[in-house]
Amino acid sequence: MKVQRISIAILVIFVIGIGIFAQTLHQQEQRSRTQDLQHRGNYLVSLVALHPMENFLGSKRDYIVKTLAEYVTSDGLIYCIVQDQTGSPLLSLAHRDVVAKIPTDVEQRSLYVNGLIQQTYKMVGTDHTISEFAKPIFEGGQRSGTVRMGFDLPPLSMFSLERIKLMGIMAFFAFSMAVLVYYGVTLALRPLHEVNQNFRNICIDTVPVAPGTVKNGGVGEIIKGLEQSVIKLKDRYEKIQAENIDLTTKYGVISFEKHNVFSILDSINYGIIVTDIQDNITHINSYMLNLLGKKQDEVIDHLLGEVLSHDQITAFLLQQDAMKQSSGARYIEATFPELDSGESFLVSLSYLSGRKEDVIGKVISFKNITSEKSAENAKHEFITRITHELLTPLTTINSYNEMLMDDEIDNIELQKEFYNTINEETKRLTSLVKNLLNISKIEMGSLTLHKGLVKSDWLFDDSLTTVEGAAQKKNITIERNLPDSFPSLFADKELLKVAIINILGNAVKYTPENGHIQFMLTEQDDCIIFEVSDDGYGISKEDLPHVFDKFYRSTDPRVTEQTGSGLGLALTSEIVRLHGGEIEVKSKPDEGSHFKIRLPKEEYYLGKQ
Amino acid sequence: MENNKRVLVIDDEAHIRRVIELKFKNQGYHVITATNGEEGLDLIKSQQPDVVITDIMMPKLDGRALCERANELKEERPFLTIVMTCRISPTEKDWISQLQDTVFVEKPFSLQTILKCVDHYFGNQE
Repeated sequence: MKVQRISIAILVIFVIGIGIFAQTLHQQEQRSRTQDLQHRGNYLVSLVALHPMENFLGSKRDYIVKTLAEYVTSDGLIYCIVQDQTGSPLLSLAHRDVVAKIPTDVEQRSLYVNGLIQQTYKMVGTDHTISEFAKPIFEGGQRSGTVRMGFDLPPLSMFSLERIKLMGIMAFFAFSMAVLVYYGVTLALRPLHEVNQNFRNICIDTVPVAPGTVKNGGVGEIIKGLEQSVIKLKDRYEKIQAENIDLTTKYGVISFEKHNVFSILDSINYGIIVTDIQDNITHINSYMLNLLGKKQDEVIDHLLGEVLSHDQITAFLLQQDAMKQSSGARYIEATFPELDSGESFLVSLSYLSGRKEDVIGKVISFKNITSEKSAENAKHEFITRITHELLTPLTTINSYNEMLMDDEIDNIELQKEFYNTINEETKRLTSLVKNLLNISKIEMGSLTLHKGLVKSDWLFDDSLTTVEGAAQKKNITIERNLPDSFPSLFADKELLKVAIINILGNAVKYTPENGHIQFMLTEQDDCIIFEVSDDGYGISKEDLPHVFDKFYRSTDPRVTEQTGSGLGLALTSEIVRLHGGEIEVKSKPDEGSHFKIRLPKEEYYLGKQ
Repeated sequence: MENNKRVLVIDDEAHIRRVIELKFKNQGYHVITATNGEEGLDLIKSQQPDVVITDIMMPKLDGRALCERANELKEERPFLTIVMTCRISPTEKDWISQLQDTVFVEKPFSLQTILKCVDHYFGNQE
């Protein structure tokens, strides 16, 4: 329907165009004929007016008439009249009734106007329009006559054969041009169609339009399509811009979180290596870089095997890979030979999973377990020692009892010795169990003091008596330094005795034979001080900060060869601390040690707990 | 009931040394004693005992080191070693089982058990 309307409009425009063109052509031809007529009229009338009057009367009259007659028949000249001064015709070439149809005023004007004139008039009784050209003939400076010529300009037909032919040719060319232009424009618009189609495909969110399925409309349709596409593109652009802002924000948050995660990884006391599926290192934390002694650019994007050339760990990782990441223990203990400290590490492996639960990399962590191992070893050693310490008196009691019961000891004195030994070992066992209970209470933080009035001289002597036997066996001299008066303490007598005996016992244990020990008691304004000095093996600089640690024992062979649980000084330190006192130690290897226990004086009154 | 077999008792605990010494002397064994591993190793080399009864936790040279050193000597002259231990752990069992003519008794032990162990060793030899 639309196409039909457009076709009719084009046809009307085409016809109007042809009409305008024909009209213009007609006017142009009319104007050309008029001008031609003027030139011809002027020329002929001037030419004839050049002849003297006698030529129109004498022998030349025939020649002139013959010449003009040719014009009269061929070029629209309908009359030629030569008149004398009086207006009498000397020559008249005209159709029979033409002269009679010339209006009088036209004749008069031609006869009496000097110079060339042109007049156009309607011939009387006809529709013919006549153009009359008149020019006076001068002889001897006087007007001797007038030449008048009338030209009939026949009306020009709008649809003459020639014009129709011309218009036909023009129409043919115009139609051909229109067809060419149409196809040219269609051809030129094809890329525009394709652009439009592509735009639609981009813009329409539903099913994309297949090429060629879009109707090839006119330019308006294309422009309209493009306009819609541009609007949709604009909407889409705004949507994408909003999404872009959203994504930028999310990226910022993710970057921030990533930075946070890396900061956390850098701050922990674990070594962390993250790899991709090809075992290329994608991240390593500061701890691990320090451990390997490498810089980040020496590690990132390098193969794990190149960076971590450790046979045990490599074998462990290969074994885990071979097990296809099955569940189970994924850790080993490893040491790094290049580290002088010989520290132990717990190397753990876990696999990174992607969204589809597929493995996308590994995380290998390195936890320094040296202190845990050390503590574990110390604890194991402690348990072993405690077991030994407990079972030794039990073994003695059991075997001595067995001998007595089997009547293998006949001698009365020997029997007494056996009974005494059983008694001593029972006491020893009891003491050991009490110490263990105290240690256990310290461990649980439930050790309570049973304070009472304690005489310092009694505490001093009782402690000394306990170790004197052992000192005599090694021929060690113990020098006593006591104040003039003995202050009393408000303390847990038994625990304080344990603390002082531990110090004195250690002095005896770690002083060689024939050595010297000094045991002092002094009183100050606010405290009572027990001091023990010896000239024994002393304590190394490395061991000194740890002497009060639980389970800690020196690696010095002179210390390890002696029995000990590593709890004595720890227990002493706790007992002194519970009494509000302080303990300090100064020592130099091979020169001896000096322990000082400072206990605060406390006002005592009856009934105080 | 005289016995020409020589028993070496190595322990830093005097009471244990004493009771084992008495038990074996009563059975006619010749008993010698040492207070630590180092002294014990010297006596193994010099006195060439037929039986060595030793503790594990001792000063100077512990029981394991002593047994390993003694094991080297057993290539020339075999003798029985009885290790007195507090708690027999799998690792302890391993190293003891790898040594020649070496057995262990757990504390607190019966003296009769040790004696039977020694008699059994000499009974097999005869």
